[in-house]
Amino acid sequence: MTATAQEAPAPETPAPLPGRDAYRAELTRLAAKDTAVVCLEADLGGKGHPFQAAHPDRFFNLGIAEGAMVDMATGLAASGYKPFVSTFAPFAVLRAAESLKLTLGYLAAGVTVVAPYAGVSGAWFGTTHHCLEDLAVMRSIPGVTIAAPYGEAEMRAVVRAAVRSGEPHYIRTGRNAAYVSLPWDGEQDGAELPPVRWESRSGNDDVCLVSVGEEGTRLALAARQALHGVSHAHLVYVDHENLARSAVELGAYHRKFVVIEEHRAQGGTAEALALLLPAHEVTGVAADRSWPAQGGDHEEVMASLGIDLPAVFGAVHRARTAGRALATAV
Amino acid sequence: MTVLLDAPAETQATGDEVVAALAARAVEARRLVVDMAASPRGCHLGGSLSVLDILIAALHRASAGDGTEVVLSKGHAAAGLYAALYVSGILPENPAPLYGRADQPYTGHPGPKVPGVRFPTGSLGHGVPYAAGWALARRLGGHGGLGIAVAGDGELQEGLVWETAQVAAAQGLGNFVLVVDRNGGQNDGYVEDISPLPRLAERFEAFGFETVHTDGHDLAALIAILAGDRTAERRPLAVIADTVKGKGVPAVQGKAGCHYVTIDATRAAKWKRAIR
Repeated sequence: MTATAQEAPAPETPAPLPGRDAYRAELTRLAAKDTAVVCLEADLGGKGHPFQAAHPDRFFNLGIAEGAMVDMATGLAASGYKPFVSTFAPFAVLRAAESLKLTLGYLAAGVTVVAPYAGVSGAWFGTTHHCLEDLAVMRSIPGVTIAAPYGEAEMRAVVRAAVRSGEPHYIRTGRNAAYVSLPWDGEQDGAELPPVRWESRSGNDDVCLVSVGEEGTRLALAARQALHGVSHAHLVYVDHENLARSAVELGAYHRKFVVIEEHRAQGGTAEALALLLPAHEVTGVAADRSWPAQGGDHEEVMASLGIDLPAVFGAVHRARTAGRALATAV
Repeated sequence: MTVLLDAPAETQATGDEVVAALAARAVEARRLVVDMAASPRGCHLGGSLSVLDILIAALHRASAGDGTEVVLSKGHAAAGLYAALYVSGILPENPAPLYGRADQPYTGHPGPKVPGVRFPTGSLGHGVPYAAGWALARRLGGHGGLGIAVAGDGELQEGLVWETAQVAAAQGLGNFVLVVDRNGGQNDGYVEDISPLPRLAERFEAFGFETVHTDGHDLAALIAILAGDRTAERRPLAVIADTVKGKGVPAVQGKAGCHYVTIDATRAAKWKRAIR
């Protein structure tokens, strides 16, 4: 039997890449045009790294030496290179914290740190492989652009921006989960991502979901399906300077915010926005103060910390009713 | 640190004349260090005096203009670095009267606001990988020049040093040179009493380094060791330079207690007269 045009299967949409694979693919692509780009790994880049295959002379697996890797990257940056270093978030931000302070911060070295395994995406690997503190640490270091992209398109855009700027960046991502990118008109023309991406901006509700990172955004998208009228703003950049700009835009449209992030509440984005928006109500759905000590997959470990869909519903409900109760009382 | 183009050149001089010129710089620099010890802030005197000849020789090597970078990893010896930069013609102003002042960049540990300083050091261990990264960049770009890190022997207690030794050897960074200012002292006393470093040369050799042992105050020997073009080398070089804490000031020479010193002007004048 010969298939007609009508019967031919539609071309398949390629499956989205997980964040760290999208990073590797985009950096490899950019390095073909920019010979200043170099890629450093600390034994956690996985086998078959595309950058190594495409640009072997600019790929360095330095072994399990995170602090040395960041400092050596600074030596490379001082010579005019654009080093990208990658290791798991807990090792990048906590083990090499002093190097990040001195080099990305004080020296403003043009080094980009790409950190998979952020939050509890390490899941059953346990506490050593969790990182619920990276935003707090990195936000306290002036001059570092912090990105928490959602989906392949955002990761690629963030990597492009880091290469273009030559300025210090910290990019957090998860483990292997892949997310369908939010629609974005600017992807084709290489435009910069706006700090605030409005997935939905309705005027029917004064509560707005604010999502940060992969899982925060996944939960916000799921929650909005069940919550009528609620808006959703997704933040790509969460360093202080970008958050200050985002706060102005958020505050212009809404009065109450529920911030969802895979991070501890202390030092997280909700806390920062609360300080930036003192006349608004900001609550957070974030990790509690516990240390997960059980197995389970990513979502299960998040739920044990209080980051799940029921928690989002509860936070939105409290935001809505607290406002009404306050109005009644007044 | 970066050697500026207007740094004095000794290319026309004979070897003996170069050594004599550098020795004269060392005397001048030691007197400046004593001046900084006599400032209201005081300074890390012992380590600044022990490392001075190494720094002056390394800066002389960098004056060849081939892209060699010298990183003082034991950044607490900032007074020694500032003095060495000045007598080598890299710092345009005498740092001693400005040291520690609120409106000046001459802090107790050096940062990149000081002319000729590229990396912030003083948190021990970091200068070693900075220099290794510099060496990697030179090799990557197909350029000559060394990445020279000057570390203290107490500093070798930091894990970051050995991380970098591992990486440098694995990457075949023959243009990376680690000079150890082995003065035997650290903040709380003698290295030997706190956390000794037995068989130090063997350690570096086991990592894959080429190792040289020298008198860290022998300028001719230091010049010779650092003179080479190591572009084609595959083994990094460790220079174990034996030095004397407080070198050149008889009142404190060899005493662990001279690690950090604040003195008055009268004593400073007396100490400076004794420096030869």
